[in-house]
Amino acid sequence: MATFIRKNRNELGLAVATLAVLLFTSFVSDSYRAFPAENAKLILRDTALLGIFALGAATVIIAGGIDLSSGSVIAFSGTICTGIILLLAPTDGSTPITDDLPLWILGVAILATLVAAFLIGSFHTWLITVIELPPFVATLASLVGLRSLAKLLIQDMTRVAFDINTGKSNISINDDTFLALGNEWWIPPTIFVVLSLLLWLLLSKTVVGRHLYAMGGNEEAARLSGIRVERLKWLAYCIGTITAAIAGILYTSYVGTAEPTRDGLGYELNAIAAAVVGGCSLAGGIGTVPGVMLGALFLRVVIDSVAKTFKSRPDLFEGLVVGVLVVLAVAFNELRGSRGLKKHFFPGALGLLNLLILTALAGTITFVTSTEDKMRNGLIAAAATFVLLAIRAAAERFGGDRAAAG
Amino acid sequence: MSKTTSPIIDIRHVTKRFPGVVALDDVSFDVLPGELHAVCGENGAGKSTLMKILSGVLLDYEGEVAVRGDVVSFGGTRDAEAAGISIIHQELNLVEELSAAANIFLGREKRSRLGLLDDRAMEREAAGLLDQLECDIHPSTPVRELRVGDQQLVEIAKALSLNSDILIMDEPTSALTESEVERLYRVIDRLQERNVTILYISHKMDEVFRLSDRITVLRDGRHVQTLNRADTNAREVTHLMVGREIEEVSFADNRQAGEPILEVERLYLPWPEHARDWRLEDVSFTLRRGEVLGVAGLMGAGRTELLECLFGASDEPPQGTIRLEGREVAFSHPSQAKAAGIAMVTEDRKRLGLFAQMSVRENITICTLNEAATGGMVRGAAERRQAEESITQLGVKTAGSEAAITSLSGGNQQKCIIARWLRTNPKVLLLDDPTRGVDVGAKAELYKVIDGLCREGLGIIVTSSELPELITLCDRMLVLCEGRLTGELQRDEFTEQRIMELATQTEPVSA
Repeated sequence: MATFIRKNRNELGLAVATLAVLLFTSFVSDSYRAFPAENAKLILRDTALLGIFALGAATVIIAGGIDLSSGSVIAFSGTICTGIILLLAPTDGSTPITDDLPLWILGVAILATLVAAFLIGSFHTWLITVIELPPFVATLASLVGLRSLAKLLIQDMTRVAFDINTGKSNISINDDTFLALGNEWWIPPTIFVVLSLLLWLLLSKTVVGRHLYAMGGNEEAARLSGIRVERLKWLAYCIGTITAAIAGILYTSYVGTAEPTRDGLGYELNAIAAAVVGGCSLAGGIGTVPGVMLGALFLRVVIDSVAKTFKSRPDLFEGLVVGVLVVLAVAFNELRGSRGLKKHFFPGALGLLNLLILTALAGTITFVTSTEDKMRNGLIAAAATFVLLAIRAAAERFGGDRAAAG
Repeated sequence: MSKTTSPIIDIRHVTKRFPGVVALDDVSFDVLPGELHAVCGENGAGKSTLMKILSGVLLDYEGEVAVRGDVVSFGGTRDAEAAGISIIHQELNLVEELSAAANIFLGREKRSRLGLLDDRAMEREAAGLLDQLECDIHPSTPVRELRVGDQQLVEIAKALSLNSDILIMDEPTSALTESEVERLYRVIDRLQERNVTILYISHKMDEVFRLSDRITVLRDGRHVQTLNRADTNAREVTHLMVGREIEEVSFADNRQAGEPILEVERLYLPWPEHARDWRLEDVSFTLRRGEVLGVAGLMGAGRTELLECLFGASDEPPQGTIRLEGREVAFSHPSQAKAAGIAMVTEDRKRLGLFAQMSVRENITICTLNEAATGGMVRGAAERRQAEESITQLGVKTAGSEAAITSLSGGNQQKCIIARWLRTNPKVLLLDDPTRGVDVGAKAELYKVIDGLCREGLGIIVTSSELPELITLCDRMLVLCEGRLTGELQRDEFTEQRIMELATQTEPVSA
C-alpha cells in the first residue's frame, strides 16, 4: 500500500486535486447540482477530445522529443476528412449532398485521414533522424505550414466539389453518422479509453515501450545498447500525429464543420500542458499514461469550473487559469522532495523582483475577476500577498535555515 | 607537521542518508593545512558523498563541517569556492559545447573594458594553466572534442585558476594514461610547494603511498581509521578498506586459447577533416576463444575507436575485413553486433551507459528484455528474476532490484552495465576501461568474472588506462600508438617498461 502511494504519488495527487475542484464547482454552480449527468457527459467528452492527442504528445515527450504540430494536424485532418467526403459525395447536378452518405465514403475519408497523419509523422521522423533537424524545429515547421496548406486545400477542394470559381474556407457535413462521432457523448470517451489502454500496454508492458523510455532518458546509451532509435522515433512521432488526426476527425464531427483557420488553434500547447501536468518530464524518459489521462481530466475540470464560476465571458479566463495551474502542478512535483520547502524562494534581486511580481499578479487577477469593488479587492489581495511573501523572504534572509524551513 | 597545528577542515559526526542507503554514518576526522590527505575506501564506502558535502554539492546532512575553525553551511559550490575549496569530480562536470578556456572561466568570465567577453585574455590565461599541466590542447577547442583524459586536465586547470588553497581530487587518475599520471604528480608537487591542502580520493595504493602524508580509510560509510603514511603499508590499508585480505591472483594461468573467433584484417577508420586522415590505420589481429586480449595505448591512441569499429558503433564506417567465426561481417549498427554475439561495455558510464531515470532492474534487462517477453509483452516476474540473478551473480550492492540506479555507487552501477551485456550471452565481449572508478575489492571481483567468462570460451578484448590491470588480466596485448598497431606482446613479455615503449613509438610494427 505504502509503495503504491509512493509510486503513484503524482497520479493520486491529481485525482485528489480533480475531486477538490469538482467539489468546489458544485458548491458555486447550480448547474452541477441540477444536471449532474449532463455535466459529467460534457466533461468526459471534452476530456476525451483533449486527452486523445495529449496521449500522442506525451508519447513523443517520453521518447525524448517534442511535437508542436498537433493543433495544425487537427485542422489539417478535419480538412482532409471533410474534403474527401465532399468530393466522393453524390451530387444533385452540381452540388454535393452530404445529408445521408453511404458508409464506405466515411470509411474511406477517415482511413485516408489517418494515412495522411501517418505520412506527416513519417515526414517529421525523416526530418529529425536523417536531416537531423531538432524535433522542435521540424514540428514547428508543420505547426506553421500544415494549417496554411489546409487553408489552401480547402479552397481547391470546395471549388472542385461545388464547381464554382472561388473556393470556400470551410466545409460542413450534414450526415448523421458522421456527426454522431463527436456528438454522441460516449463515443469520444470510449475512443479515449481504448487508446489509453493500448498506449498504456505499449508503454509500460512491452519491450518497445521500455525502449522508448530508455531512448527518452539517454539516447546514446540506448543506441549503444543495440536499440534502433530511428524506428522508435518513427513510432513515437506517428503516434503523435495519428492521435491528433483522430482528435481532428472527432472535433470536426462535433462542430459539424471543418474550418482550418480556426480548428485546433493553439491546441498543441494544451496537449503539452496536459502531459506535463500529468507528470511527463520535457527532458524525456519520464511519464505515464494514467498520469496523462488524469492531467487532461484535471485541465478540463478546471476549465469547466472556470466556465461555471465566471458567468460572463469565461473564455477570457481560461488561458490565465491553465497557465497558473501548469506552473503550480509542475512546481508542486519538483518541490515535493524533502528539500522542497527548505528551498529559498526569494534569493537576491531576482527574488525581490518576483516578490513584487507575485504581488502585482495577485492584485491584478483579483481586480479582473472581481465583479464589484474591483479596485478595493485588488488592493487587498495585493497587500495580503505582499505581507505573506515578505515574511517568508525575511525569514529566508535573516532567520537562518530553521526559520526558512518553518 | 606538528600535532598542535589546528586543522583546516574538521569533519564532525557527519551522517548522510539517501533513500534506502546510509552513505555516511557518523564520520569524524580532520585535515591539516598543507598536507596531502588521502581518503581510501571501496565503492560505496562514502568517499564521493563526503567530498560532495565538502564542496557544497550536497547541502543537507547531519553533523557539522568546520573550515579553518568556523562551522560552514554552504549554499552551493560557489560558497565552497569562496571558502577556498575546489573539487575535481570523478565524473567530469564540463559544458561540452564550450571551449576549454570558456569552461575554465565559466561563471568568472573575463571581460574587456566594454563589458564584452574577452576571449583572448581567457584563452591566454587558460593556455598558461594548461601549460602548467604540460597539456598541449588548444584553449579554444570545444570540450566535446576532447577525450576523457584531456577533459579532466581542463577540470584541473579550472581548479588551479581558482587559486584554491584546499583542493579535492576525486580519483583524478582514473582516466589518465601513465604519462599523464606522471605529469599530474608533478603538478601536485608544485601545489604542495604552494602550501595547498589536498584531499585525494583514490584506491590505488601506489598513488596513495607515493603522494600522501596521512591516510583516512572509510568502509561502508563509516570512518575506520586515519593513519600516518610512515606508520603503515599498502597491505594494512587494503585490509582496512575491504575488511579482509585480498589474495594476489594471477588470472591468466592455465587458460587455453581455442580457435580464432574474431579476425581483423587491415582495418582503417577514416577521420574526416583531420590532418591524420585515419583514426585507425592498418590494424590487423586475431582474437581466440577463451583468451583475454588487452589493448594498451595512450589517450587518443584509438583504443575506444577500435572497439567501436568492432561493435558497429563508429561514427564513420570502417574499411577492411572483420571476420566473426570465419564469416565476414560489417555492422552498421550496434544492434547487428549484439545479434551476432558481440557485446560492448562503454567507457563513459554516465554519458554512454546509464539510464539514470530507470531502476537497477531496468538497467540490467534493457538488452535482453525480449527474453523475458512473450509476443512483445514483458513478463514482470521473469524480468525481475533476470535482474535478481545478475545482482547476485555480480554481487551488486543495492537496496533491491527496484532501487533507482542513481542510488548506487559508481562501481555498482558499472556492475549493472556489465551484467546487462553478460545477459546477452556474447561470444565476444568488448570492455572499454571497465574498471574506471571501481575500487580494489570490486575490481578483483570483476577480474574473477572476466576470467570465468574467458574460461567458458568467450573471446574478450579489454582496454584500460591502468597497465597493471592489463598485465593482470590479459593473455596477449596489442599496443596502439596514434591509431597504428605498434606491438603485440605475449604474456611472458609483459612489462610496463616495454608496453610504454611501444605506446610511444610511432613506427608501426613490421609484419
